[in-house]
Amino acid sequence: MEAFEYLLYGFSIALQPTNILYVFLGVFAGTLIGMLPGLGPISALALMIPITFAMNPASGLILMAGVYYGAIFGGSTSSILLNAPGVAGTVATSFDGFPLAKQGQAGKALALAAWSSFIGGTISVIGLMLIAPTLASFAVSFGPAEYFALMLLGLTAVVSLSERSLVKGLISAVFGIMVAIVGIDRQTGTQRYTFDSLHFLQGIDFLVVALGVFALAEVFVMLLQGRDAKGRAKQALGSLKLSRQEVKEIAGPVGRSSVQGFFVGVLPGAGATIASFLAYITEKRIAKDGHTFGKGNIKGVAAPEAANNAACGGSFVPLLTLGVPGSGSTAVLLGALLVMGVTPGPMMLEQRPDIFWGVIASMYIGNIFLLVLNLPLIPYIARILEIPRPMLLALIIVFCMIGVYGLKFTAFDLYLLLGFGLVGLLMRLNGFPLAPMILALILGDLMEENMRRALQISGGDWMIFLEKPISATLLGVAVLSLVIPPILRRIRAARAQAREEG
Amino acid sequence: MKALTANRILAVLIAVLSLAYLYAAYQIPTFPIPRPIDSDAFPKVLGFVMLGLSVWLFFERPEGQEPAPSLSFGEQVRRWLPVVVTAIVIAIYAATLQSLGFVLSSFLLVAGLTWFYGYRRHFVNMAVALAVPLVLYLVMTRLMTIHLPRGILPF
Repeated sequence: MEAFEYLLYGFSIALQPTNILYVFLGVFAGTLIGMLPGLGPISALALMIPITFAMNPASGLILMAGVYYGAIFGGSTSSILLNAPGVAGTVATSFDGFPLAKQGQAGKALALAAWSSFIGGTISVIGLMLIAPTLASFAVSFGPAEYFALMLLGLTAVVSLSERSLVKGLISAVFGIMVAIVGIDRQTGTQRYTFDSLHFLQGIDFLVVALGVFALAEVFVMLLQGRDAKGRAKQALGSLKLSRQEVKEIAGPVGRSSVQGFFVGVLPGAGATIASFLAYITEKRIAKDGHTFGKGNIKGVAAPEAANNAACGGSFVPLLTLGVPGSGSTAVLLGALLVMGVTPGPMMLEQRPDIFWGVIASMYIGNIFLLVLNLPLIPYIARILEIPRPMLLALIIVFCMIGVYGLKFTAFDLYLLLGFGLVGLLMRLNGFPLAPMILALILGDLMEENMRRALQISGGDWMIFLEKPISATLLGVAVLSLVIPPILRRIRAARAQAREEG
Repeated sequence: MKALTANRILAVLIAVLSLAYLYAAYQIPTFPIPRPIDSDAFPKVLGFVMLGLSVWLFFERPEGQEPAPSLSFGEQVRRWLPVVVTAIVIAIYAATLQSLGFVLSSFLLVAGLTWFYGYRRHFVNMAVALAVPLVLYLVMTRLMTIHLPRGILPF
């Protein structure tokens, strides 16, 4: 079997001592950062990117992938212990995790989260391994028109799924593209929006924006929330062991949620957050003891945890095979890859199998690390939650500064970072979703390039996007993804009103 | 409906900015060799889309948004003070990083802000504020050969 041989090849890369070290570093750092309330996978990834500057792409991606699923994993810990999810994808975990912790069974909840995440993560890596090559061989036939349509679909899906206000999501996305095209036009050499300043010639680095609108803006938000917002007092963890009965009870939910989570993760726009809520709701509905969900049911911890880790693996499918990320976090991953000079896409499987299979193999190892790391060490790792908040905020600021300064060694980028931090704050306070912006920022250049190439081929005829069947279908789905949710919402609202009146 | 909700102010602001953006888009020089689509096309599309979106935002019904609790001017100042001070400190850091050096300016930033945010165990604060930048500096410059400004310190 061919895939198996490739996987062995992948392990030969992932098992190199330095790469094992990077997997470990990645999941460890990801777990730590993900655990901090407010800092999610996007901040974690952005903060860790500077470390990958000097690495080869395979190692860099292995590390970053570790940070990503480590952060999702870490988020569950603060959800359970503090009821303060570090990551949106683990909000559903807190519904039953925190009640369990209040009953003195925090240890059990953490162990459940660790095992479910491990199984969800592992199942999704298997899925990734099986699906990705097929999808990639299909995508080889994609031309610029198809790619443009695909990216547009990715953007509209993120916009329609992320927040309530459609128009704010769209504004956010367009703003991201606007930032992306600053600098020298790569196709003609024309300067655009550089204001004749040398600093803008190479464009605005996505890391400056990502660290600004995510990490730094998050610091600002925490400052606005006041000084006295403190963590909860320490509590007993209780036993970390699961009984045989409990294992039997969660086996079904974990299996179902893992598979479902993986497929949700593959879809553009839907990620860990949606997967975990969907899994939670599904299990609540089909469980015999559904009414105890929310009061500390172990299935209510296991299902979302399996789903969010599985979704994380699933989200690598479009990133690695199409080169088009379906979420904010994978967009940042793509940005990191581009910095290292690698363009993921259908050709990557052939041209850089070391990256593709190395990363997949490293995910198996990373998931085992996470389990080993989290089961015995969780009480110690959780102490990071005791770092005094003032100090934490100040340190996050310094980490942002180093990350940005290390890019080009100019103070100008630091001012830019501050600017984007304030923009991010403004966006957050007014309900503008951030994920569409960061995705658009990374896709902006590629979108324009593909759009122009397509028009070059057609001699300037815009109908090319509608004449090609795949591109037309993708564009149609993109439009539907924007139009359908508001209509559904209106119907639902009308029904609710009718019920009230009736 | 109130005339000036936050959304409407933002909508006007975004409209003005997209007009400026469009103006700049029309200033983009054309490429000497004619091509079916030039550098200015995409920005123009973006500018018009953004303008349209700002109009949409202006007329959008605010759905279920609760009015922000109105704070007195003094309370507002107190709430925003940490953000303003932090922004100023970051600007000063950016301005002095190259001359003071990474370790020293980072020490000042961490120690100063930690204190300002209300942490009062000064010894712990000093130790952390010194140790973290120092370790980072050594790792970055010695292990990863990423140059950080040395400044006035001798190493």
